[in-house]
Amino acid sequence: MPAHLLTLSGVTRHFGGVQAVDQVSLEIETGTIFGLIGPNGAGKTTLVNLITGYVALQSGRIELEGQPIGGRAPHQIASLGVARTFQTIRLYKQLTALANVLVGMHSRRKHDTLQQLGLLPVFRRGQLQRVAEARQLLSRVGLEPERFQNRRAMTLSYGDQRRLEIARALALGPRLLLLDEPAAGMNPAEKDRIRELIEELNAEGLTILLIDHDMRLVMGVCRQLAVLNFGRRIALGTPAEVSADPAVVTAYLGTQAGEEGATAAPGAAGPELEAPVGAALRVADPTESVHPTDAPAAMLQVRELRVGYGAVEAVKGVTFSVDKGEVVALIGANGAGKSTILNALSGVLRPHSGSAVFDGLDLGTAPTHRIVSHGLIQVPEGREVLARQTVRENLALGAWSRRDGRAVAREIEELMERFEILGKRRNLAAGQLSGGEQQILAIARGLLGKPRLLLLDEPSLGLAPQTVDLVFGVIEQIHAAGTTILLVEQNALRALEVAGRAYVVETGRILLTGTGEALRQDPAVRKAYLGG
Amino acid sequence: MDFFLQLFSDPVGFYQSHELLIAQIGINSLLAISIFVTLFSGQLTLANVGFMAVGAYTTVILSLHASTPLVFNIALGALLAGALGVVVGLPVLRLRGVFLAIATLGFGEALRFGVILNLPITGQGQGLKNPDADPLGGVVPILVALALVAYLVWRLGSSKLGQAWAAIREDELAASSQGINVPLYKMSAFVVGALIAGLAGGLESHINFFVDPTEYGTTRAIQVLTFAVVGGISNVLGPILGATILTSLPEVVRQAQDYRDVINGVILILIIVFRPQGVLGGGGLALIRPRWWPRQWTLTRARTPADA
Repeated sequence: MPAHLLTLSGVTRHFGGVQAVDQVSLEIETGTIFGLIGPNGAGKTTLVNLITGYVALQSGRIELEGQPIGGRAPHQIASLGVARTFQTIRLYKQLTALANVLVGMHSRRKHDTLQQLGLLPVFRRGQLQRVAEARQLLSRVGLEPERFQNRRAMTLSYGDQRRLEIARALALGPRLLLLDEPAAGMNPAEKDRIRELIEELNAEGLTILLIDHDMRLVMGVCRQLAVLNFGRRIALGTPAEVSADPAVVTAYLGTQAGEEGATAAPGAAGPELEAPVGAALRVADPTESVHPTDAPAAMLQVRELRVGYGAVEAVKGVTFSVDKGEVVALIGANGAGKSTILNALSGVLRPHSGSAVFDGLDLGTAPTHRIVSHGLIQVPEGREVLARQTVRENLALGAWSRRDGRAVAREIEELMERFEILGKRRNLAAGQLSGGEQQILAIARGLLGKPRLLLLDEPSLGLAPQTVDLVFGVIEQIHAAGTTILLVEQNALRALEVAGRAYVVETGRILLTGTGEALRQDPAVRKAYLGG
Repeated sequence: MDFFLQLFSDPVGFYQSHELLIAQIGINSLLAISIFVTLFSGQLTLANVGFMAVGAYTTVILSLHASTPLVFNIALGALLAGALGVVVGLPVLRLRGVFLAIATLGFGEALRFGVILNLPITGQGQGLKNPDADPLGGVVPILVALALVAYLVWRLGSSKLGQAWAAIREDELAASSQGINVPLYKMSAFVVGALIAGLAGGLESHINFFVDPTEYGTTRAIQVLTFAVVGGISNVLGPILGATILTSLPEVVRQAQDYRDVINGVILILIIVFRPQGVLGGGGLALIRPRWWPRQWTLTRARTPADA
């Protein structure tokens, strides 16, 4: 029986009323690759932050080779040989690639400040050795030192930045390496190279804890997996065991009225992505408009839209449309580019190329306030309510740009009646509401902007199943009242219940489109989420 | 124009007739380096003028009441400033960015109004007469101290200390994931800055007949920051250049001396608008590099595609 490198028992952390990590127990064997998966908001990153000391433990124990490390400062835990990367890359952007790796050696480096004050090379022998080692680490992760060592970290491509972050973590000389979504935003070829790197490092004896949303990667390299949902460990075992677990399927695809979950485990769902899809479906072809006949009448028409962040292009040419009175859903796994599409429509991000026209207004160039006053309102991911302001004050903010004060006051009262939950809590600070209540508040706030097209970004994010029902009830109610809705959801099955039509987004492209009902039956949808 | 004509045609005469200006440039360069050290670690502190006052008053009080050698007095002044840096740093370094700047500015004013103006030994509002003042003899020690401090700070850059500072400036959270004890290293930068400022204060008192509490006010604290901003903080030459430009400016344009503060303000605005990284920042020296000048001598980072 191999020794345990890291042991978690009953680890718990909540933020306010949200149980981010709830009584999680795990044992990671020395020399293994351990996978940690779960839907968005399941508590994976919080767990990594607990292990590395960034977030304080509320109860439970964390032991590294039998030595308790809970409650220590991050730098102390790092010095014990626990290295990590960050979900959002955190390199020293202005420093060169080489300097980034040199800093990584900090905890192994003797205090050499006095030696470094000398000019003669003899005083700097240590530094020359470190530079040589850092260059080795750079080539280890696939960055040729000659080309990359003097380039500032911020100038590297996205995939190279991820690799540099791994090199920096390796410079610590770690016993345990925590990789938080190392393949996020990478293309398939880059993902393959990350996968090879992970396997090579492990073959050299490094224990790795891997978090990623790419199931192909996780299922491929991990020997053991734990699945988190709502902060709880819902499954533990080998990749094959976990992917056959009905609770895991439900966690990823969401809840729905039927009992389909168990029959359609990803391993069992035979057809490949390329398999023929139902008659109501077709693979989206970006060159052809989705509604060739009624395209001019569409309320929102998006053509060949490309959007990115610096070096990485998150949306690679999507074409779709929303007609008046429809509910259209964009579904797909985390990191597919769904939220980026919405942010490009609302003017938060500007597209690189392509067009998005909403009722005659060019969304690619119009100023944000014009977009809002034209009737396109976004309810952002994560709700973004003002925690210290009351429910009423948050609502009043939604009508900030409007000048008809009396009508606003009346509408706020109407909304309070319509959504009883808000009416009862009108004078409570928004931060004291539950996640679902906050979501309804955020939607109600959006309604005060008089939307003709409402963009909802992940309304069910981090909500318990009953609360999801409540929120989707509200969405249906709003649609019935005549508002057009573009919905982005991870909870695919739920979104497809309310949506008339939907588009499946994967790695920045539209993969499939069809009616909600048809997509719900389609195995390719499951595949897009769970890989296999 | 005379200023530059003399500088190039008769450098010896220039040195003799501008000794006080050169001494002042040296002092201001030291102060600019002291704020550079904290900026290098990502902290915006304005306490350095307060530490300078500690150095100056300690030196002069020792000259008045003890028979210790001047070198010892100046060194003790710098060490006291450094020690005070630890005490002030403990509560203040929990703050960040503009809040840290305000708190450290508050420290300087509290020191001036609360301590210096109230203690009999500091001469209160009247200031202190310096028995050891030697305006001309002070120039060489200042330049030697400047050369030494500039060299040490430059070499610190590649030491464990300097690399930890740079990492904290770039990303504190990531720095702690590399085992860097962030509070400890922030404190060390604060204390090194205080030491250098205390040294500058002691050296300055030596060239003045008088220590005057009004010298150590907010205006000067901000002026010191201006040196570093104008010069750029990518390496230690930036603050020295900034201090040199802004200190000699009133001499260069004598006619405009009354508008000195206005000119300083305009320069600061122009720099922030057109060259926010400072004159020397981000490949700045490379821009004015003559063709025959080897690239690696410019001491600035290699130009990267992002600069282009």
